[in-house]
Amino acid sequence: MQDFFSQFFSPELALTLSYLFKIILIVVPVMISVAYLTYFERRVIGFMQSRIGPNRVGYFGLLQPIADALKLMFKEIVLPSKSNNFLFFLAPLLSIAPALAAWAVIPFNYEMVLADINAGLLYVLAMTSIAVYGVIIAGWASNSKYAFLGSLRSAAQIVSYEIAMGFTLVGVLMCANSLNLGDIVIAQEGGISQWYCWPLFPLFVIYFISAVAETNRAPFDVAEGESEIVAGFHVEYSGMAFALFFLAEYANMILVSILAVIMFLGGWLSPVSFIPDGIFWLIIKVAFVLFCFLWLRATFPRYRYDQIMRLGWKVFIPLTLVWIIFVGAMMQTSYAGYFH
Amino acid sequence: MLDSYFPVLLFILVGLGVGIGPLVLGKILAPHKPNDQKNSPYECGFEAFEDARMKFDVRYYLVAILFILFDLEITFLFPWAVVLDSLGLQGFIVMMIFLGILVVGFIYEWKKGALDWE
Amino acid sequence: MIFTDYLFYLFSGILVLASLRVITANNPVYSALSLVLAFFSAAGIWLLLHAEFLAIALVLVYVGAVMVLFLFVVMMLDINIEALRQRFWSYFPVALLIALLFIFEIYLVVTDKFFSSSDPAGIPLEKSNTHSIGSVLYTDYLLPFQVAAVILLVAIISAIVLTMYGKKSHKAIDPKDQIKVNRNDRVRVVKMKSEKKK
Repeated sequence: MQDFFSQFFSPELALTLSYLFKIILIVVPVMISVAYLTYFERRVIGFMQSRIGPNRVGYFGLLQPIADALKLMFKEIVLPSKSNNFLFFLAPLLSIAPALAAWAVIPFNYEMVLADINAGLLYVLAMTSIAVYGVIIAGWASNSKYAFLGSLRSAAQIVSYEIAMGFTLVGVLMCANSLNLGDIVIAQEGGISQWYCWPLFPLFVIYFISAVAETNRAPFDVAEGESEIVAGFHVEYSGMAFALFFLAEYANMILVSILAVIMFLGGWLSPVSFIPDGIFWLIIKVAFVLFCFLWLRATFPRYRYDQIMRLGWKVFIPLTLVWIIFVGAMMQTSYAGYFH
Repeated sequence: MLDSYFPVLLFILVGLGVGIGPLVLGKILAPHKPNDQKNSPYECGFEAFEDARMKFDVRYYLVAILFILFDLEITFLFPWAVVLDSLGLQGFIVMMIFLGILVVGFIYEWKKGALDWE
Repeated sequence: MIFTDYLFYLFSGILVLASLRVITANNPVYSALSLVLAFFSAAGIWLLLHAEFLAIALVLVYVGAVMVLFLFVVMMLDINIEALRQRFWSYFPVALLIALLFIFEIYLVVTDKFFSSSDPAGIPLEKSNTHSIGSVLYTDYLLPFQVAAVILLVAIISAIVLTMYGKKSHKAIDPKDQIKVNRNDRVRVVKMKSEKKK
């Protein structure tokens, strides 16, 4: 790609353009996946509840997400009279930008990564921790009671589960000995038995549940709680400003799913030796994890807020600590091989 | 090393662009007809009678403080987890002392009811 | 001038401007958000110095955690800015003292007179920055590392003592207490003669 651009431009500009081209190659599929995840969600939950779901726009309703996007584009962005204008528009930006920027370090296959940085996992964790700003600022800038309540709940919940999530990542690092996401996948080579979901099974389960809570998805969606606080922090948002929050939520969902696959399910690696590795494995695994997200939403009633906080602080943090100490202790014995 | 961070910087800029684009598009394409009722904050049909920004239970601040402390603990664990193999038993014991001290704090906050919500 | 130099001036320019906004902004929320921006640009500068672990940890800890608390406090406590402003000059001597102390400490660190740091170049560069930090933090800097744990412990305890002081830990009713309730604790039957109409 760089060679192609360097025919026309100076080498520095050619490099920049080739990077931009690659970024678009990542962002556009992510955006399309986000759009079709919403369609997939409505269809899957529809079938789980013996309904049909959207099926009018295009074949099987396949054009529904595009129709939704167009509708939102032509809707007025209502600016509440008491709100703080600058912060009101800054909030959706702060939630979409980190949700996308984290994708910079995600490896899709051998050698197929935009930024092969050493501290990849730390970078992703930092980007997901910034996402909370969008929520807090949206709630405060709207100057509406419901938005404020929703943002407080949401912020406290996100930070609580981030700790549990961070501890599970420590477990993965102990096994992989690297912060580079590509290295973490390569360390799991050798078939399904080498994936980290087996030696780190409790951490895998905790990571998945924390990821659901971290993205404010049902059954941990008290931040939105449409029946109590009418959509929470983004109640005052409409049109494209709302669409950005919506995009960010689903982009984050896909991001945490792809991280779960990279850290615990062997990324792009094939589970059996007679089928080659490849990016299609990554897509299949991510689709499965996302399906579990939707399955949870269709199955479980909403948790109460005190139950959510208790689960995060009093169950997950002690459990992850115990398992980290257990793995660390096992690594000092002759069983260390099982954990690498 | 810096070369590999250049695309990250670009990606953050593109991420911001992806946010600004739709907002501008929405401003241009969508109608803009403000009126008092529409622009008032959502309040289930009646007038808002006080400022929405109110004081909150101290518990939320406590969660934020505890989050900082545990986040720091995690950043201390990260380099340790990465080099645990080469540190061996000594490294393991060092971290157990570190975690032991912090578990005392965790038990204290548990017993004091700082983690209870109702 | 190479590209990283431009980036350095860009980041430091943003850092200086954002820091100025922190102390000049009228709205405390803007101050806090400017501080977030300042941390970001500082992380950028650290990254230019090849300190990738520290740069990202700065974003993770300060932007992702510390500033969240600041925003919580600034947004949810009614701070009367006018009242604070009137007392600016009464706080000024204390602020000046702290500022001078800070400058003195920075002087000590920068001039290398007090803190004789071992040459960082002496540490063999390993696979990554994180590996290098890990290989010295838990061996050569063992004592400071454990002191950090004790400081964190003190912070946990003091945060709880300050916020939960003199307060019932929770408002929920304990079922045990409910069952134990005795009729005699709640109801008192008083015997008295019926009053007659005169």
